Amino acid sequence: MNWRTYQAQQRVTRLGDRFLSYIDRTDESAGAASQADPVVLLHGIPTWGYLWKDLIPEVAAQRRTLVPDLLGFGFSDQRDCFDRSIDRQAAAIDRWLDQLGIESAAIVAHNIGGGVALRLATLYPERVSQLCVMNTVCYDSWPIELMLQFGHPSANRLVSASKTIGGLALALKSGFAKSPDSDFLEALLAPYRTEVGKRSLVRNAAALNTNQTTEISHLLPSIDVPTLVLWGEDDKFQDIRFGRRLATDIPNAEFVPLSDARHFVMVDRPDEVAKRVSEFLSAGVLNR
Amino acid sequence: MLGLSKRTIDEYEASGEIERVYAEIQPTLRVSGVNLNFRTWAAQDHLLPLLWDPLKANCGTDTFEQSADELRATAAASAIRLSRLEAHPAAGLGESQAFQLHEALKLYHFVNPKLLLFTSTVKLALDGELHAPDSFADVSKTPRRVTPGAPPDMYPMAMVDEQPDDTTVQEVFDDIKQTLDLKSVNSDYRTMALWPAYLKAMWRSLKPVTQQQDYTDAADRLRDRSRQLAGQLPLPISLPTRTLEAGGADVDKAIETTAAFECLLPGLILNIALCLRDFVDDDRLSESPWPASYRTLPE
Repeated sequence: MNWRTYQAQQRVTRLGDRFLSYIDRTDESAGAASQADPVVLLHGIPTWGYLWKDLIPEVAAQRRTLVPDLLGFGFSDQRDCFDRSIDRQAAAIDRWLDQLGIESAAIVAHNIGGGVALRLATLYPERVSQLCVMNTVCYDSWPIELMLQFGHPSANRLVSASKTIGGLALALKSGFAKSPDSDFLEALLAPYRTEVGKRSLVRNAAALNTNQTTEISHLLPSIDVPTLVLWGEDDKFQDIRFGRRLATDIPNAEFVPLSDARHFVMVDRPDEVAKRVSEFLSAGVLNR
Repeated sequence: MLGLSKRTIDEYEASGEIERVYAEIQPTLRVSGVNLNFRTWAAQDHLLPLLWDPLKANCGTDTFEQSADELRATAAASAIRLSRLEAHPAAGLGESQAFQLHEALKLYHFVNPKLLLFTSTVKLALDGELHAPDSFADVSKTPRRVTPGAPPDMYPMAMVDEQPDDTTVQEVFDDIKQTLDLKSVNSDYRTMALWPAYLKAMWRSLKPVTQQQDYTDAADRLRDRSRQLAGQLPLPISLPTRTLEAGGADVDKAIETTAAFECLLPGLILNIALCLRDFVDDDRLSESPWPASYRTLPE
């Protein structure tokens, strides 16, 4: 599926003055399991919901699947007048789930989406019935140097969006075990190729804040839902030691390191990730 | 070809005085971006601050706001009498895409009449036809000030590059430029190009409408009314051409560019009203998307 086809499938909702675009999909094959808690897939920076394009069909075959573009990301609101921190993103997801009439959901998340998920699981525990994080930010694992530089207000101000995003695409390649398909990489950054999109992405990077994971570190042992921690072993952005520590601190967490995979583990090992996530979600339904 | 220079200064490129003026334009006009006319004036030596500074006080008054809204409502009424475009249903957009397109059209529906009124004011000033308002000496008629700042839910002025990678979009841009006799593509079309299927469907429907006599007449009426309203702004404006010359601006080029925008904008206002008609009923089209609130200044 190309990104424009994906974009055409997005629904939209207002969250106060902001708007949030999202995919809402349930396949017929989900059958009775579609009545189980929905699954919410959260992307990280600098991507958007399209990151999950290959996993969505797998998950939607089991459960109702919701894939938001976080505020300031993808085709959600990109205005330059709100806080994009993971604290505010978690509050926005909480509000969005309320609007959809969803009490709790299984959360599958990557990168800073994982930071949002960890905040939901610790600070809004009633919202999360299963938790799967992949190469997530946690503790003081972040922001990485690339994003610190990118988020500086003056770093890219006088550089056009096409040059800025072109440079970012090159830097992102080290997040993949094998050179990613160029169309896919272009699609991941497509929403940021306007000047407004570039500025929004810079603001998203400027909002990265270590304190918002360190302040919940002591709450991780309170997470009492089934948890899967998937990690690309060769990740240059989020070191695997953070994944091990996370799986130790969260009770009921299973840690699964994946070889031949870096940061974008769902791209490097799509079949294995789909299998692991599907099994994890299925177990959650069976255990209810 | 209309005298619009291809050279512009985008917001991200602005520095110094241009950056300062861009930062003032957005809260004063209550808009989320800087449109092509300002970006074009900015690229002409020293011109933009020389135009903006004498006029900006008027732009923040209730008279300016209400005059611009009268132009917007007049364009809406004219659009209702023209053919429907029905480009939105033809483009097959998804829910989020349609929502965002609608929000983008509201933005231009709101701001373009302000651009026309500002441009007409510049034109009258450069032609030496602006006179100090008689009412200014009457303190009871001191204008109310509009509360500045873009509405919190206004869509950002996002747009594709003027030389887009998408060949379909480039073809439409080329046709727009040829048909409307332009050197640069306006922000409005570049924003619509975020949804290429819509841009294509819109232009296919709009192009024949722009050839109709009713359309041309409606655009002429808007331009005439804009000039009348520009002559009634409440605060004195001093913009002698000698000041522009002393400031280092090319007056002839300024006059040519301003005239070109004054020629272009009425049609653009009608076009956006026609596009927006696909999304809202006629009553709603006549209402301002973001009515102003006012503040009292200390004496």
